[in-house]
Amino acid sequence: MPFLIESFSFFYSSKRKYFKEIFIKGTLFVSAIFAIVVIFFIIFFLFKEGHPIFENIGLWNFLSGKEWNPTGDPPSYGAFSLILGTLLVTSGAMIISVPLGFGSAIFISEIAPPKIRSIIKSGVEILAGIPSVVYGFFGLTVLTDWLRVTFDKPSGECWLAGSILLGIMALPTIISVSEDAISSVPMEYKEASLSLGATKWQTISKVIVPSALSGITAAIILGIGRAIGETMAVMMVTGNAAIIPKPITNVFSPIRTITGTLGIEMGEVAYGSTHYHALFGLALILFAIVLIVNMIANVILGKLKEKHMPALKKKKRKMLSQKTMWRVKRSIYALCSLTLMWLLVVQFGIEISVLIISIILCCYLISKKISAKTSQRVAFGIVALSTIIVLFILGIILYYIIANGARALSWEFLSQYPLDSGRAGGIYPAIIGTLYLVGGAILIALPIGIGAAIYLTEYTKEGLLTKIIRTGIEALNGTPSIVFGLFGFAFLVLYLNLGVSLLAGQITLALMILPTIIRTTEESLKSVPQSMREASLALGATKWQTVRKVVLPPAMPGIITGTILSIGRAAGETAPIMFTAVVFSQRFLPTSPLEPVMALPYHLFVLTTSVPGAEQNAYGTALVLLLLVICLYIIAIMIRNHYRKMRKW
Amino acid sequence: MVIKMDAKTKKIAVFGVMMGLVVIATALSGCLKSGEKHTITIRGSTTVLPIAQKTAEAYMDKHPNVDISVSGGGSSVGIQSVGEGIADIGMASRDLKDEEKTRYPNLKPIVIAKDGIAIIVHPDNPVTNLTLEQIRGIYNGTYTNWKEVGGPDKEIVVINRDSASGTREFFWEHVMQKDDFVATALEKNSNGAVKQTVSQTPNAIGYVGLGYVDKSVKAVKIKKEGTEVEPTVENVLNGKYPIARSLYMITNGEPKGIVKDFIDFVLSEEGQRIVEEEGFVPIS
Repeated sequence: MPFLIESFSFFYSSKRKYFKEIFIKGTLFVSAIFAIVVIFFIIFFLFKEGHPIFENIGLWNFLSGKEWNPTGDPPSYGAFSLILGTLLVTSGAMIISVPLGFGSAIFISEIAPPKIRSIIKSGVEILAGIPSVVYGFFGLTVLTDWLRVTFDKPSGECWLAGSILLGIMALPTIISVSEDAISSVPMEYKEASLSLGATKWQTISKVIVPSALSGITAAIILGIGRAIGETMAVMMVTGNAAIIPKPITNVFSPIRTITGTLGIEMGEVAYGSTHYHALFGLALILFAIVLIVNMIANVILGKLKEKHMPALKKKKRKMLSQKTMWRVKRSIYALCSLTLMWLLVVQFGIEISVLIISIILCCYLISKKISAKTSQRVAFGIVALSTIIVLFILGIILYYIIANGARALSWEFLSQYPLDSGRAGGIYPAIIGTLYLVGGAILIALPIGIGAAIYLTEYTKEGLLTKIIRTGIEALNGTPSIVFGLFGFAFLVLYLNLGVSLLAGQITLALMILPTIIRTTEESLKSVPQSMREASLALGATKWQTVRKVVLPPAMPGIITGTILSIGRAAGETAPIMFTAVVFSQRFLPTSPLEPVMALPYHLFVLTTSVPGAEQNAYGTALVLLLLVICLYIIAIMIRNHYRKMRKW
Repeated sequence: MVIKMDAKTKKIAVFGVMMGLVVIATALSGCLKSGEKHTITIRGSTTVLPIAQKTAEAYMDKHPNVDISVSGGGSSVGIQSVGEGIADIGMASRDLKDEEKTRYPNLKPIVIAKDGIAIIVHPDNPVTNLTLEQIRGIYNGTYTNWKEVGGPDKEIVVINRDSASGTREFFWEHVMQKDDFVATALEKNSNGAVKQTVSQTPNAIGYVGLGYVDKSVKAVKIKKEGTEVEPTVENVLNGKYPIARSLYMITNGEPKGIVKDFIDFVLSEEGQRIVEEEGFVPIS
C-alpha cells in the first residue's frame, strides 16, 4: 500500500508519533474503503438478482420494450416507459427545486439579517425531517386534489404532481448544502470585490457563487439523488400507469417511475420468479441512470471551474481554431433554442408561444439596459420571492400535519402501548424504537463517514481512486431506499442471520445515510482555507494534529448539517426498515439489539394503508414523528451554532 | 488557530449526553419486568395484518407469558420469512407460486378468512349497480365514459391495484377472466390508497376489501340474472356475492406447540368473530 512506503518520517522526532500517524491514516483508509466495499456489495447483490432477466428476454428488449405487464398472460417486461417516467419526473422536480433552492440559499447566506437567517434555515431543515410517507399522504389528499380542481382534469395524479412533490422533497438538501458552500467562501473574496466598487449583487453573482460552485453542484447532485431514489411518496401521487405521456409534454398524464414500480411490486412478488428478477433489473438500470447523471454533472463542473479559474486550465493543444469553436457553439445554441421553441409550440399552440418568446426577448433587452443598482433590486426581489415560496410550502404542509394530528395528541398517546390494531392506545414503543434506530444508524455512519471524508480530502491527491470512491458514493446516494431494504433483508437478515432485528435496521439505515454524511463532510473540509493547514504544518504539527485541531473544528457546522439531514432521512424512511427491523406491534420493548422494534414511520404506513378507521391515530403518529425529529434537530442546531461562532474567518 | 472547547460547548455536550441517558433509562425500565416468555413472530401480507394483530391481542390477553409480534412487508416477504425460518407464521393474500413451492416444499398454507371485494365509486356518482360484464368492460378499456354504463357524461377514472397484489390477481382471474387491464388505469399499492383516491375523485372506480367500505365511498351492487347483490359479509357467506378470495396463514411443516395453539385460536369461534369484526368474511 502506497501510504506505508511514503516517507515523511524525517518530520518527526519520535518513532511513536510516526506510527500513530500511520495507524490513523490506515484507519481512515479503511473507512474510505468500507464505503466502496458496501457499494460493491450492493451492486453485486443487484446484479446477482437482476441478471437473469437480461438473459431471459435480452437487455435491449428489456430496455426498449414499451409494455410493462408482468402479470399479464403472457407477461411482458418492457422498461422503456418506466425509465422515461423516472427521467421526466426527476427533471420536472429539478426545474422546480433548483431555482427555488438556489435562490433561497443565496437569500439565507448573503442577504437575510442573521436572526431571520437562522429562523429560515431551521424551517428548511424541518422540511427535511418530514417523513416521506407524510409527504405522500399530503400529496395524495391535498396536492392531487388541488391539481384536479384547478386544472379541471378527471384526476390530479400525474407527472406534474410527482415533480412538485419530489421538488419539495429535494429542496432541503439543495438549500442546506449550497447554503453551507456559499457561506464558507472566505470573507476576503467578498471584501475585495466590494472594495473594488462592485455592488452587492455583482459580488454575489460574479465572485461568491463561482467560488462556491463545487458545493452547489454537490448540492444539486444530492438533490437529484434524493428525487430519483424516492419511493414511498412518488408512488402515491403519480398514478403509476406504465404509459408514455401523449404528447410527451403532457404533464397531466399519469406516469410510472422505476422506484414506484419497485415500491408497489416488490413486497408481493414471488422470490426467484421472472418478475422478481425483472424488478432487480430495474434497480440496476436506476443505478446506471444515477451514475450517468453524476458523470454529466462532473463534466459540467469541470468546465465551469476552468471558466472561472483560468489558472487551473491545463495547457492543451487546440484541436480547432477559436473561430470554428465559436461557430460550433453558436450552432449548438441555435439547435437548443429551436428544440425549446418546438416544445413550446407543441404544448401551448403558436400564439401563446410567440407571446412567451417575445416576453423573454423583452426581459433580455431590458436587463441589458438597466443600471447595476436596479438589477440588484430585481435580483434581490427574485431571491427573496423564492425564499417566501419555500416558506409558504413549508407552512402549508406543517398546517396540514398539525391541524389533523393535534386532536390525537395526549399524554396517553405518548406513553401507552397500542391497542385495537393501533386504532386506540398509544405509540410509546414506536417512539422508543425510532430513537434506537436513528441513534444507532448515526453512531455507525458518522465515524465511518467522517473518516472516509477526511481520507478523501486530506490524505490523498485527486486521482483514479478518489474518483471511483466518489462515483460509488454518489451512486449509493441515488439508490432507492427500497433497494437498501431488500439488500438488508437478503444480506443482514438472512445471510448473516441477524434475523429481523434492531441491529439489522440500524446498519441498513446507516448505509443509506452514509453518502450524505461523506459528501457534506467532504465539502465542509474543502472549504477550510489551505493557508490554515500550511500554517499548522509549518509550526511543526503532525498531519493528524492539523486535521484534528485546525481543519475539523471549523468544518463542524457543515458536518452537523449533513448529520441533521441524515437524522431527518433516517427517522422518516419506511422502506429500509420495513423488511429488516420492524414489527407492527409488540408488548415488550427490545432488550437486545437482536430483537425487532416498532418504529413511527412504519406504524404510520400500516395505519394509513392497511387498518381502516385509524385515520386520527395515523395523523397523530405523523405529528409525533415530526416533533421528535424537530427535537433531535434542535440539539444538533445548538451544537452547530456554537461551532459556527468559533469560526475565526 | 487552535480551538478548545469553551465552557458553553461543554455544557451543551453534557446536556446532550444526559438527554441520551434519560432516553435509554426510560427505555430500559420498560424491559425489566420479563418472566419466562414464549414468542411467536408473524410476518407478511398487510391485508391479513389487521386479523393477525387483533387475534394476537386477544390471545395475549389470555396468555400473558406469550409475546406475539406481527409485521407486514407483503405476501412474498411473509412466505420467504417462514420458509427461511425467521418467522413462525407467514401471512399471504395469494396462493403459493410454483417457484415458492419448489424452494420451500414444506410450507403449509391454512385458510383463516375470506376477503370480499367491493367495487367502489364516489358517493356522488348516480350509478348504483353494475354487471360483471360492465365492470370487465370498464377495466379492459371498452367503456371509458360513465354514460356507457348508465351514468353521467364523464370520463371514467379507473383505479387498479399494483400488479403484484393478491387482490388484483383474484380480480384478474375472476372478474377480468384473464383479460388485460386498460393501460391508463392508475395503480395503487394498498386498499387504503384506493379508497382515499376514489373518495376524492368524483369519476373514479376502484375495488377494495369489504372492511374498507365506509361513508366516504359508495359500494356498487353486482347485478346478476336480474337480482342486485349488495357486498356484505352475509352475502359472501351464503354464496350470493361472487367476488371473494381466501387469506392464508402459512407454517413451515405442520404447526406445533404454541404456534398450533394460536392458529387453532384464530380458527375458533372467538377468532372468527374477530375476523368478522375487522370486516373480513369468516370461513364457517
